[in-house]
Amino acid sequence: MLHRLSILPLLVQMFVKSQMEYRGAFWLDRLAQIVSYGAVLLTIWILLQKFQLLGGWNWPELALLFSFQLLAYAMGASVSFTQLRDLEELVRLGTIDTLLTKPINTWAYLIFSGLNIGYAGHIILAIPVLVWALIAAQVNWSVGTALFFVFSLLSATMVTGSVITMIGATALIWVRSNHLFSIFFGFWELTRYPLNIFPSGIQVVMLTVVPLAYISAVPVAVLLGKPVPLLGDFAAPVALLAGPVLVLIAIAHWRYALSRYQGAGG
Amino acid sequence: MTALIEARGVSKRFRQHKRFPGLLGAFQTLVTSEYTEVSAVSDIGFDIAAGEAVGYLGPNGAGKSTMIKMMTGILVPSAGTLSVLGRTPHLERMANAREIGVVFGQRSQLWWDLPVIDSFTLHQRIYDIPEARYADNLKRFSTLLDLTPFLDRAVRQLSLGQRMRAEIVMSLLHDPKILFLDEPTIGLDVVAKDAVRKFLAEINRERGVTIILTTHDLQDIETICPRLIMVDHSRLIFDGELRRLRAALGSARRLTLEFSADPGPLPLSTATLTSDEGLRKHYLLEREDVSLVQVLGEVGGDRGLKDVALHEPDIEEVIRTFYQRRNAAAAVS
Repeated sequence: MLHRLSILPLLVQMFVKSQMEYRGAFWLDRLAQIVSYGAVLLTIWILLQKFQLLGGWNWPELALLFSFQLLAYAMGASVSFTQLRDLEELVRLGTIDTLLTKPINTWAYLIFSGLNIGYAGHIILAIPVLVWALIAAQVNWSVGTALFFVFSLLSATMVTGSVITMIGATALIWVRSNHLFSIFFGFWELTRYPLNIFPSGIQVVMLTVVPLAYISAVPVAVLLGKPVPLLGDFAAPVALLAGPVLVLIAIAHWRYALSRYQGAGG
Repeated sequence: MTALIEARGVSKRFRQHKRFPGLLGAFQTLVTSEYTEVSAVSDIGFDIAAGEAVGYLGPNGAGKSTMIKMMTGILVPSAGTLSVLGRTPHLERMANAREIGVVFGQRSQLWWDLPVIDSFTLHQRIYDIPEARYADNLKRFSTLLDLTPFLDRAVRQLSLGQRMRAEIVMSLLHDPKILFLDEPTIGLDVVAKDAVRKFLAEINRERGVTIILTTHDLQDIETICPRLIMVDHSRLIFDGELRRLRAALGSARRLTLEFSADPGPLPLSTATLTSDEGLRKHYLLEREDVSLVQVLGEVGGDRGLKDVALHEPDIEEVIRTFYQRRNAAAAVS
């Protein structure tokens, strides 16, 4: 089994090599990403110049929320988003059939043969902002908080990858999945802000059916010692468990979707 | 001989959202949850032995690709049992994948932006092909299909014929026991088609690779596949040797005799005269057991016979006769 894993770096290498066929476009894309996310961050900063606080969060705290979300999203989406968004196309054109006849896990092949290095732009922007915000915001650092920071970031990455995988996998059943991705990104934009500023209905949704609160608002609130709506004292363990639990659900869902695959025709 | 592939009463039905015609109908389609069942494959059974080359033939939508997808484990049959290499394909898809090769004529398995050889290397790793065997297979197949000149070229720069040759070579690098090909010659020019056909026939003959091939092109079957499975409207309508189909349909061979001087009317007992142009006479050989030598014997050596041409009924003709008779029979009953 272990030596099978050695194929994965080769897949990544081949994908990167493919991308480098168009390296000019690649770097231009990254620049565009940094500028567009930078603009969002700037908007939050301008807002904070006027209002000082947003839901009880100050500028460094919101910058921490923004960069934590961007980093977790970039890491989770690099192992899921473009690959699963394109699954719809693979199903429609029947290309997925060629992957299903290979002696390799289809999800692993799909993910690693399309591992999106394009998220470099997000990461280049997120890391300096995150480092600055962790220093500027009032975090009570201890071994416990440091460990929580690392593992909640990992958990948030898993939440992102799992939710995207589940949405993408629906293409195997319904051929289309892009409408679900639109809903996903609708909620995803809300994760740049503290959970408590939203009406309770949205809070409930983001903690349950569309569990995106775990990619930013919940773990960052715990890190800053702020109250988390609805979860209260359970916020820390739930934030850590959300990722692994969703990964298991996503695996089960992927298998189910694959068993329901009917081909797109022919 | 044990069967490599066993199909017993295999069916595949697809549930399709019921569609209503027209603009209003489009809205109706959106809000109703009615389904219609479409049968792509109905109650099909056959055995395929090791080393056979089988052509799976039928018009568009007859369920050819669906059958291939069930045999390769991509789709789950709705009814019946299917066994490939002793395994149920959809339950042991990955185990089977190691021992089969699959080529989809319209779906590339090569990496579009990378040199052909890179896809081959990845294939070697995925299928754990030992270095020596890989090198040996690559060399042999590349020579046979003349791949060597473009192994280092990006796939996107290849012609369709070159790409298809590369696809076929890749599918054979791991020495599969069975090679499934779904429309392998579609869109190829005459030269490329010919190269692919000859190669497949040789692989089947010399390496004993079992070949299952779906096609529209009857010439593929003629060159590669002694056995023919024909489907129409999801059902099996013929399974047997191409030769037998010919014989069963009584498609006669046509014979043309050309003389240096008009020998006059020349009726024969071994063949039926169909038209007489004087110097050139056309006959039909209706009986399979009559050989050309017998006919020429009857003509005799003293008639000034200059040239002889024998036309086997081409497969298109045979199949056309078959479908016509079938439809006529269906109309009567």
